[in-house]
Amino acid sequence: MAQTLDIGRRIELVSMDRHFHDISLGLYRLDGNDGAEFLVHSYSGLAGVPGRVAFVTEAMKTMGGLVAAENGRLRFPCGSEHNRGVRRVFLDICKLAPDEPPAARELNVFDPKADSTVTVTAYAGGRYTFAADKDTDKSATRTGAIANGIVKLAETTLEDDTTVSFDCGHSHDVLVAQLLPRAINVRAAVREQEAAASRGVLAAPSQQE
Amino acid sequence: MADAIKAMTSRERVLAALNREPVDRTPVCNPTSVATVELMDLVDAPFPQANREPELMARLAATGYTELGFDTIMPVFSIIQESSAIGCKIQWEQKDNWPTVKMREPIWETADDIKIPADLCTHPDTKCVTEAIKILRKEYGDEVAIIGKTMGPWSMGYHCFGVEPFLLLSLDDPGKTKLCLDRMKEATVDFGIAQAEAGADAITLPDHATGDLVSGEYYERYLRDLHIEFAERIPIPIILHICGRTVDRMEYIAQTGMHAFHYDSKNKPAESMAIVGDRISLVGNINNPETLFSKGPEEVSAEVRENLEAGVQLVGPECAIPLQTAVENLKAIPQTVRDWHKNIA
Repeated sequence: MAQTLDIGRRIELVSMDRHFHDISLGLYRLDGNDGAEFLVHSYSGLAGVPGRVAFVTEAMKTMGGLVAAENGRLRFPCGSEHNRGVRRVFLDICKLAPDEPPAARELNVFDPKADSTVTVTAYAGGRYTFAADKDTDKSATRTGAIANGIVKLAETTLEDDTTVSFDCGHSHDVLVAQLLPRAINVRAAVREQEAAASRGVLAAPSQQE
Repeated sequence: MADAIKAMTSRERVLAALNREPVDRTPVCNPTSVATVELMDLVDAPFPQANREPELMARLAATGYTELGFDTIMPVFSIIQESSAIGCKIQWEQKDNWPTVKMREPIWETADDIKIPADLCTHPDTKCVTEAIKILRKEYGDEVAIIGKTMGPWSMGYHCFGVEPFLLLSLDDPGKTKLCLDRMKEATVDFGIAQAEAGADAITLPDHATGDLVSGEYYERYLRDLHIEFAERIPIPIILHICGRTVDRMEYIAQTGMHAFHYDSKNKPAESMAIVGDRISLVGNINNPETLFSKGPEEVSAEVRENLEAGVQLVGPECAIPLQTAVENLKAIPQTVRDWHKNIA
């Protein structure tokens, strides 16, 4: 009898969890009564896997701003999918060792490229503005770049150079804070994600070395 | 097609389709790997061990039938088993990546260097394959088709001489190239026969005269006659596998007497069927990188239906699937085949 499950569409995969016996961990997306739901799942039957899955699931709440849904699933309070954001948070959380307690980040980040700290202010309706603590041309440019990084990582809309908003109209402070360090160098984050996803694609002999 | 045919086992269905005989429904066939990291976890048979230990190889391969619902089990995931036995340097990699031959460190330079070792079929990395086939045959009897794999001499040329040196040789000295192929072909035949004797129902024969490197004229000049010889000497149906755009050589491939051609998504199903006619079965050609790996079940289903509507005899992925492919996309292939046949019944 088949053991694979009908648990929705897999939207992200960590093929080897370095912190737990190189098991694979998948993030699945399902349709719930109140919108998109997510399930962290591993097909590994090794002892301790449920504990590792529970750790990642809990960390998704603490570090991604998701809340519990039925049957061990997760959802954003707004019910939206926020596909790129939830996938990025999942990938970052899977890098956490089990002895590292998950913690929500602050809505600010030090940007070494401008030698300044960028602070994000949340407003009603899922709007966020970005401001640097230094008034230089470099800081202004970089603040816009970081706002653009959040647009790419969280699929927000750019309202002006330093303001973004979620289309769902809801606040996602924890998610924005978690993605903020990645937004400093969004190209590197995207490259890393693409490189991980391309592992295991068999190249034709003519493309191999 | 399906109305008057009594229900078949998976094995009967695959063998009938390879012989272009009537089937109860189109078989779902993987001439190459459908292993994924999630399936490795499910049965605790990860790469690279599942390429080197027969019990793990058999267990992982069986998931294609037990979990995904394919009509075939194909335990030879990689393309390097016999190259390892011949003496090529192998990068075995880890769970989420493919083992490969280090082709920048070739082991042969001239035809005189070619020596097929006496232990080709008893080396641990080839014996692993024959032992896995025996395990699968014992466990599944006649219910499912078991497919082996033996690499053709053109692919072996890449592995043993290096891609660039071998291609340059083929340009500079056709006579010596033919001599090399003629000497390497014995490994193809011997390993193929060993798998047939172990219980394989059919055998995939990848010979990477791929569309991006080699022309149709090249195929006719160097490989058609060799492939005719393989069809005569290997006593089970052969599924030839060549990646890339290959419509310029399908006419020659159809002349080989092989049972099937495993074709790439760069070739449209209808145009390919128009060329080969009823001389050879086609297997394929669901796109791997753009569809199975990157899209969802709906897009997979659309490609399956295109093959069914073109009359392709066996449906499956175009090549070894990416190891991170989602299970739901793979399960969409047999599901779509079943639904399509229900709808036309």
